[in-house]
Formats: sequence, structure tokens, C-alpha cells
Amino acid sequence: MQKVLEVMGQVCPFPLVEAKSAIEEIESGDELVIKFDCTQATESLPRWAAEEGHAVTNFEQIGDAAWTISLKKK
Amino acid sequence: MIVTGLLCGALLGFVMQRGRFCLTGGFRDMYIAKDNRMFYALLIAIAIQSVGVFSLIQFGVIEFSAGSFPWVAVILGSFVFGIGIVLAGGCATGTWYRAGEGLLGSWIALFGYMFMSAVMKSGLLVPVNQSIQSVQLPSNSIAETTGLSVWIFILLFVAIVVAIVIKQQKKPKIAIPTMKPKRTGLAHLLFEKRWHPFFSAILVGLIAILAWPLSEATGRMSGLGITTPSANILQYLVTGDRSFVNWGIFLVLGIFLGSFIAAKGSNEFRFRMPDAKTGITSFIGGNLMGFGASLAGGCSIGNGLVMTAMMTWQGWVSLLFIILGTWTASYFIFVRPKVRKKSPTVQTKINMA
Repeated sequence: MQKVLEVMGQVCPFPLVEAKSAIEEIESGDELVIKFDCTQATESLPRWAAEEGHAVTNFEQIGDAAWTISLKKK
Repeated sequence: MIVTGLLCGALLGFVMQRGRFCLTGGFRDMYIAKDNRMFYALLIAIAIQSVGVFSLIQFGVIEFSAGSFPWVAVILGSFVFGIGIVLAGGCATGTWYRAGEGLLGSWIALFGYMFMSAVMKSGLLVPVNQSIQSVQLPSNSIAETTGLSVWIFILLFVAIVVAIVIKQQKKPKIAIPTMKPKRTGLAHLLFEKRWHPFFSAILVGLIAILAWPLSEATGRMSGLGITTPSANILQYLVTGDRSFVNWGIFLVLGIFLGSFIAAKGSNEFRFRMPDAKTGITSFIGGNLMGFGASLAGGCSIGNGLVMTAMMTWQGWVSLLFIILGTWTASYFIFVRPKVRKKSPTVQTKINMA
């Protein structure tokens, strides 16, 4: 299962706040894909994933000030 | 000489954009994420600046007078400023450098900030500002009040900061996933690599030192400052009075420029339009920022970074109340809605009954 979270246009810390609640809605082993354009989230999202122990399966810039990060839930 | 402000600001804007140096986020995360890293980074920048600037004063390169301490204005203004920066999504400097990243929400916040600062400094609210600021304690300098040498406080503070840094470096490190580098060499270091907050803080501290002699060479006797220059831009634009044009104006325009260069160079610039709700919140936040910073005599940079380094009551009291303001706003915006969301069972039960 894969869930996509679109938080383009949302400023920090909302991408992280939304990601935290989105990950609660999926099962362990499922994937959460987050698309965002808040620069600070390039720092806060991977840090949060690492601290919580979710595996980051993809993390890349997809355009000018646009990124995607995929996590596999612990 | 006034254009050295542009250079100093550009350096600051560049470092802040690349270092993601966000004090609003830092103060907020102390509370909502129990993460103190950005706060510690600020302390490092204060310590470096303090040693540097007091050395310059000692050798007679620059002059500084702490003045008196308008304590009611500092407490009230800083608290309101703290609320404002959470709503605006960035402190005064943060708003300037995010504007350079193309965030139109920050442009809106910036306008509100300039507007209310001008209203407080030369407009309708001057009497309010002056009457609250008239409640003063005679001395603003911690050294003067206690009768001790300022170096005792600086050394004590440096020792605390060194202890914090050593403790932080000893913590077990977790591997933070990063993006695959697409560049090499200098381009990678300047426009791609993530910077450690402590590294950015050292640079911010050094730029803050540099600001003093550069600014004083043009007759503006202080260091980094954001609020008055931001108000000065609007005051100059609407009055045409050239006396509003000073080193500080070039400094804040430099922040915008430096951040734009940093963001453009790392493909992080894009005009981003907020939704109406975010736009309105940003505008209200900007106005609160302008009101608070004008009253307190400084923002998170002017008071939180510079006046703290100058070992004044104003700086440290202001920093404390800015933090309390951000926590208060964070509670209502981030913590309380989450608690409510988490207890749907309670609500269902009530509905059933």
C-alpha cells in the first residue's frame, strides 16, 4: 500500500505536522510519499524519519523548490 | 560606504538560506519537538559576537552605550513579537530571507511588518510606543548594574556554550538520509550540501561582528538590526525624506538579495502563492511582529542576537519573552488542535448520550 501526501504550498512546520498524522493512518511496512515545497522541510522530514526509525526509500528534488520523500513505515 | 550594508546583508541572507537558520522554527521546536539545536546554535552565534565586539570596544575600534532599560516595553513587545513570528511563519530576518526564496506569504508578512513598524515609529501609534517605553530602569548593562567587569559575564557565557557544544557532540549520532549529490566541489558545498546549524551559527556570529565596524563607519552606531531599517524603507518611500536612508536599509535589502542568490543557485527559488488563510495569517503575524519589535526595541536579531551579545538586560529579557510568545502561539496553533483530534472517542460518547 502507498499513501501520497501532497503538502505543496504549506509552510513549515505544517508538512511535518501533516506527515506525523498521515503516518498514523497507514500500516507497518506501507509507504508514505510526501510531496512538498517548504525548504525547511528538506531538513525536518528526513530527520524526523530517521529519529522515528522509518526507512527513507526515496528522497529527491523534482523541480525548482519542489521535493519528494518516500518512507516505509517502521 | 553605505553599500557595505548590502554586502553584509547578502552574506547573512546567503548563510541563513543555506543553513536553514530559522529562529522561529528553533524556538517553536524547543516546545513542540523538544529539539533545542537551533537555540543552541543561536547561543553559539551570541558568544562569538560577544567576544568579537567587546574586543573591538576594548581596542577602541567601535563605541557602544547600552543606555537605559525600558523593561515594560521589552517584556510586552517581545511577547507580542513571539506570537507574531509564529503566525508569520518566520521572524523578521526569516521573513526577509524567505521573501528571497519567492514565498509570497513572506512578502505579505514583510509588508505588514514594515507597515506596523512605521506606524509605531513615526505614525499614529508613536504616543502609545513612547508612553510604554517611558517606564525605564536606569541601566541596561548587566555589567554596570552588578558593578562587575563585562568580561566575567562573557567568559561565563562562553564556558556554558562550550559545555553545551561538547555535550551535543557526545550524543550518539543518527544517520539522516540525504539527497544524492548532483554537484561536486565548491558548487556542492555552497549550493547543495546541508549545513550543520552550529557551522551556520559560527558564520552568523562572524557576520554580526563585521556589521559593527561597517555600520559605525557610516555613523550608524550599532550592529545588525532589522526592524528600524525595515520601517525606514517604507518611511522613505512614502515621505521621500532621504534622512531615512542609512546603512540598515542596505543591510535588509542585502538579506533579500543574498537569500535570492542562494536559493536560485540551489534551485530552491520559485514564486509560491499561499492560500487565502495563510496569507491573512501572515499579514496579521507581520503586523504583530512590527508592533512587538518596535516596542521592544528589537526583533530576534536586534535583541535576541545583538543585544544579548552586548550583555544587556534588554537582550536577555527580550529573548526569554520572545520564546515564551512563540510557545504560547505554538500551543494554540499546533498543540491544542492535535490534542482535540486525538480524542474523538470522547466526542462520540458525548454525541451518543
